[in-house]
Amino acid sequence: MEKTLRVLNDLVVAGVLSRYAIGGAMGATFYVEPVLTFDLDIFVSLPQTASGLLSLEPLYTELRNRGYNEVSECVNIEGIPVQFLPAYNDLLVEALTEAREVLYEQTPTRVLRAEHLMAIATQTGRDKDRERVRLLREQAELDAEYLANLLRRHGLEGKWQPWTP
Amino acid sequence: MDTLKPEIARLIAAKEQRRHELARLPFAEKVRLVVKLQHMAAPVLRARGRLVKVWPFYDDKPGGRE
Repeated sequence: MEKTLRVLNDLVVAGVLSRYAIGGAMGATFYVEPVLTFDLDIFVSLPQTASGLLSLEPLYTELRNRGYNEVSECVNIEGIPVQFLPAYNDLLVEALTEAREVLYEQTPTRVLRAEHLMAIATQTGRDKDRERVRLLREQAELDAEYLANLLRRHGLEGKWQPWTP
Repeated sequence: MDTLKPEIARLIAAKEQRRHELARLPFAEKVRLVVKLQHMAAPVLRARGRLVKVWPFYDDKPGGRE
């Protein structure tokens, strides 16, 4: 995975990405026991185009130029299917801004905070998101006040309550 | 839980302890375990018709390739 992360860091240096962070199952795995996944979910903020629209197309074009091709909804980067998810709402923008800077082996990268992973899972609301919330509550070191504030500010308390008996 | 035989309760507690130990491993080590999980799960998922790609194993750890 280190080679994949180096490519992502290069894309930031090149200005193709403004910022990125690992989320999804692999983001959760940073905090809890290993969770089976076949995709690497990468949340991204993209430079705004002249029209003000956010588009993944310049990113995909740059990756194609570097020899990394799309497979279904992912791009295969150094053998790993990477799914890019643009920060399309306030919660995701905040999650990216406050992501933790960590080292993966020798390579710097970012991982979403556990509290943001929980809030995003709550917002998304699928069965596997509920399971992710359960696992993070059980195993991750959480800042309860930070999480409560996060859920309140993003209007997620109503969805959160039934998930936390 | 109070109706469980002591031996079963001990096994469940040990399993729970193991899961918490796994959670405390370094990130890179956990990613290697995810890839091992992929190797185990892929044949089953493929048999069900799901296309999955197992990540390169230990690809970026010198001398770590299997």
